[in-house]
Amino acid sequence: MALTEENPGYKWVGTRPIRPDGLDKVTGKAQFGADLTLPGMLFGKVVRSPHAHARILSIDTSAAESMLGVKAVITGSDFPDLAANGAHASDIDVANNAIARDKVLYEGHVVAAVAATTRELAEAAAKAVEVSYEILPHVLTVDEAMADNAPLLHENMITKGVDPAPDQPSNVASRIVHERGDLEQGFGEADVVIEREFTTKPVHQGYIEPHAAVADANNDGRANIWCSSQGHFAMRAYTATVLGVSQGTLKVTAAEIGGGFGGKTVIYLEPLAVRLSQRSGRPVKLVMDRDEVFRATGPTSGTRIKVKMGISNGGELTAAEVWMAFEAGAYAGSPVGAAGMTVIAAYDIPHFLVEGYDVVCNKPRVAAYRAPGAPMAAFAVESVLDELARSIDMDPIEVRLANAAVEGTQASYGPKFPRIGFVETLEAIKEHPNYTAELGPNQGRGVAAGFWFNAGMNSSATVHVNENGTATVVTGSPDIGGSRQSMALMAAEELGIPYESIKPVVADTETVGFNDVTGGSRVTLATGAAVVDACRLVIEDLRARAAKTWDVEIDQVEWVDGQAQHVDGSQPPLSLNALAAKSGRTGGPISANASLNARGVGAGFSTQLCDVEVDPETGVTRVVRYLTAQDAGRAISPDYVEGQMQGGVVQGIGWGLNEEYIHDENGAMENPSFLDYRMPVASDLPMIECSIVEVPNPAHPYGVRGVGEVGIVPPMAALANAIKDATGVRLTDLPMTPIKVLEALNEQSD
Amino acid sequence: MAQVYFSAGLRDLTGGVAQVDVQASNVRRLIAALDEMFPGIGERLSEASSVAIDGEILTDAEYESVPDQAEVHFLDILQGG
Amino acid sequence: MKYAAPSSVEEATSLLSSSPSAQVFAGATDVVPQIRGGRQAPEVLVDLKKIDQLVALTSDDKKWTVGAATPTVDLTENPGFSQEFPGISEAAGLIGSDQIQSRSSLGGNLCNGSPAADSVPAMMVNGTRALIAGPKGNRLVDVSEVVTGPGQTCLDSDEFIVEFEIDRAPSLTGDAYLRMIPRTEMDIAVVGAGARVTLGEDGTITAAALALGAVAPTVVRVTAAEEALIGTTADEDTLAVVAAAASEVCNPIDDKRGTIGYREQVAGVLAKRAVLIAMERAQQRNGNV
Repeated sequence: MALTEENPGYKWVGTRPIRPDGLDKVTGKAQFGADLTLPGMLFGKVVRSPHAHARILSIDTSAAESMLGVKAVITGSDFPDLAANGAHASDIDVANNAIARDKVLYEGHVVAAVAATTRELAEAAAKAVEVSYEILPHVLTVDEAMADNAPLLHENMITKGVDPAPDQPSNVASRIVHERGDLEQGFGEADVVIEREFTTKPVHQGYIEPHAAVADANNDGRANIWCSSQGHFAMRAYTATVLGVSQGTLKVTAAEIGGGFGGKTVIYLEPLAVRLSQRSGRPVKLVMDRDEVFRATGPTSGTRIKVKMGISNGGELTAAEVWMAFEAGAYAGSPVGAAGMTVIAAYDIPHFLVEGYDVVCNKPRVAAYRAPGAPMAAFAVESVLDELARSIDMDPIEVRLANAAVEGTQASYGPKFPRIGFVETLEAIKEHPNYTAELGPNQGRGVAAGFWFNAGMNSSATVHVNENGTATVVTGSPDIGGSRQSMALMAAEELGIPYESIKPVVADTETVGFNDVTGGSRVTLATGAAVVDACRLVIEDLRARAAKTWDVEIDQVEWVDGQAQHVDGSQPPLSLNALAAKSGRTGGPISANASLNARGVGAGFSTQLCDVEVDPETGVTRVVRYLTAQDAGRAISPDYVEGQMQGGVVQGIGWGLNEEYIHDENGAMENPSFLDYRMPVASDLPMIECSIVEVPNPAHPYGVRGVGEVGIVPPMAALANAIKDATGVRLTDLPMTPIKVLEALNEQSD
Repeated sequence: MAQVYFSAGLRDLTGGVAQVDVQASNVRRLIAALDEMFPGIGERLSEASSVAIDGEILTDAEYESVPDQAEVHFLDILQGG
Repeated sequence: MKYAAPSSVEEATSLLSSSPSAQVFAGATDVVPQIRGGRQAPEVLVDLKKIDQLVALTSDDKKWTVGAATPTVDLTENPGFSQEFPGISEAAGLIGSDQIQSRSSLGGNLCNGSPAADSVPAMMVNGTRALIAGPKGNRLVDVSEVVTGPGQTCLDSDEFIVEFEIDRAPSLTGDAYLRMIPRTEMDIAVVGAGARVTLGEDGTITAAALALGAVAPTVVRVTAAEEALIGTTADEDTLAVVAAAASEVCNPIDDKRGTIGYREQVAGVLAKRAVLIAMERAQQRNGNV
């Protein structure tokens, strides 16, 4: 069988061995952030604002400090005032979000923290901290925040990206815009124009493991931190910023992590734990309960999005106009920028205007959630595209094929696309038997597509060859999606030794070079590239050792299938084992480092097919069949790639059908538990069928494209389109709960 | 000469100009040259951008070389999850 | 906090009388979250599961007797009970989750006093009686009298339910329980409907009971629907009356789980569907026990 790009004849890459972390996780031996116990350790408890917006008039910690077992109490005054030190605006926001200074901006905002000898004593002490507030009026949605005379969260917020700049502050932090061609001309050329408005609610990443951190501070200003995070180098940097210290004083170890999805790329507990440890002189553990995770950690934005699109009878999109407002929560920084860049990126549209607003409101600061910004934008555009297709009686896959971005298409956000696999995912759906499977009564079918850039960024890796011929692959990328296995597979492929001989390890900030966060679907690509580079350096060294052993020039030595071979076969081969065993004699231990800022990032596309059944008398929607086709470039670990595809789909289904933050009139969250914050349970869903499409990324040694995020982009629109097909009603407000479906059905029959 | 494209969000600093040709060996020099043409744009480009050079999106790309005839776009820094 | 595990009913009542702040529990699946959430802080937790009578499940030719602390999984996995009272069995099988059901009990589900308790409508339509023990002796009450308001029962602080009695179902009787939740599991009922019908030899309904949960401060009987069903075969017109009566009797609230309008409308839908299932089951039960 000839080796081709489609079949490169890999021995390990693309196989499905047993995952390295599975046994420890299912037997309870895996060490998560809350599992660490140190001698003398104290338990921390955070005091949080009960108000959505208030001025802090005074904090009296004296009662708490005098309680039995209490060893430290801290407030905002225990942290440097970064604004006074002329720090960057974004650093100031991080610091103020970590602990409030003069104002609280959301229910749950940190006001103080205590450390005591037991959990119960810490909880009692937290209750004893007396805070006096002046309650201020609050705003909860983009509509409220953008209204005339809305109460302001930040007195000095002048909208960026507006020309001329406004002369009055507002709750609008910034505006983004993308434009091409002439909208009037574009809509003029359309045979059908459809305009719709959509609203979505904040939803939480819903990781099963709440945030946890243990900090142990020394007397000389150094501190060790163990935490659940997607990037311990980033945690070190943010924590140092908030504490006002140099990064070099902090050592951070990433614990095993129980999910992040973007929500653990930011700090919450770490600076509090360090400061409490410094004040008390003992290690301090801080763990959030689920209530705190909901109230005080970033969900993703609620939004209002207006979309107007035009299509010709022949199926060509002629124009698109998009207006979006995204909730940022208490501080600027919603993902409206990425939303603006992805909203129509999958299609080649000659005339468009995309405008987006980043709006602050009295809710927890939003944090990244799997392809941040893209899912809401796609919900809107893919719904309208579905309507346009219906209006000209065109198949939903065909309408997307007719307009799909391909290699060379000028993306809506600027550059031309390199080789991409969108069309291949559309065709994978079209050719799958599910596309023509029979639908029963009250059932309907919907299609939607999605795009995500994926990221590259910085990674470092070290590969050591052990004396017994096995290899340790050390990286600094916390494993949230199977990266340890992918690293081991690529290393096995490079070195030519069995996968079982490779041990993948995630090291702390002192033991491995810098790594950006695990996120942005970047690790298999970027950290993988670093691992490959390090392996190649190791191989060069192994060739040199063999050359020395045989007393020949290095160009006489090849590395094949895990052994050094003489080019003309005049020497018996030397295995990795043999070379490792006597490495001391040939120059010393064998290991190599590689660090890089990754290049050649390949974008990801996903097309999804959803069949639903809607009970016409109760409005309950059940997903009966779901197929996702995603371009993975090359699936290094197909098991994990499918896991990422399915995970994204399931989160999108929850977002589309039942998940939402519900607030009362005081701005307090009403459903901060999994009972009433309704994520899908296993019995809610059919098997999510996966079709892994491989259009290799030409710029990566193994053709990798990131896979973690794009899967969450299409599901909400796929569901809305399927519900429309089943019932005739078009829902434009998420989540599409049974109550909303029944209301729409009632209206339809009136 | 590289062809530099400005997204709509940058055009308030370029007086509406959407595309210019600029000679520069690397991104840092490119930004400096652009700042001479459009005063004030340098800070914005250095602060908040990724750069796409002939379709490849790069971060921290100041010293990246800019090939002749390259198509260059400045993009907002993106966050993943 | 102290833990006590009496081994007899007398020991239990004596403990409750002598401790001012005592809380009985069976599976503790409601009590523990309440203590953790700061909603109660009893000084003594009284475990009822060591009393044989409280965890038994027996039947004779007159009635079934279910210990108040018997884990609901014992009911759902008992073929005899599930065949005779499929409605109570399926209702018990909806409480919480599989894991919860290995510990939850009918006594706990009832006495927690939630209007949305899954087992209560089914127990009610089957005329279940509760045997209450206290220091002054025992009393037997219909289960419909136990819960007096959300979170409130008719029990004194030194009383507890020992067991439930359900008379053997006559032939041609069937019961059913349906609930509406947005997901497939793990939700509190937005609407719950328990129904039971008994048929005469000619196939028409001779007795009917219909109870709705989660649509009023306590579980409510829909007497107008019950009356309308007598003498009919639950035809379409009768079912329309049943649905309207069910919607009418509702007195729900708007909350994060459902709106008033939604609950009223879906109460009618579930009432019809539960009656139809009960009918089908009744038609199949020709006297074999």
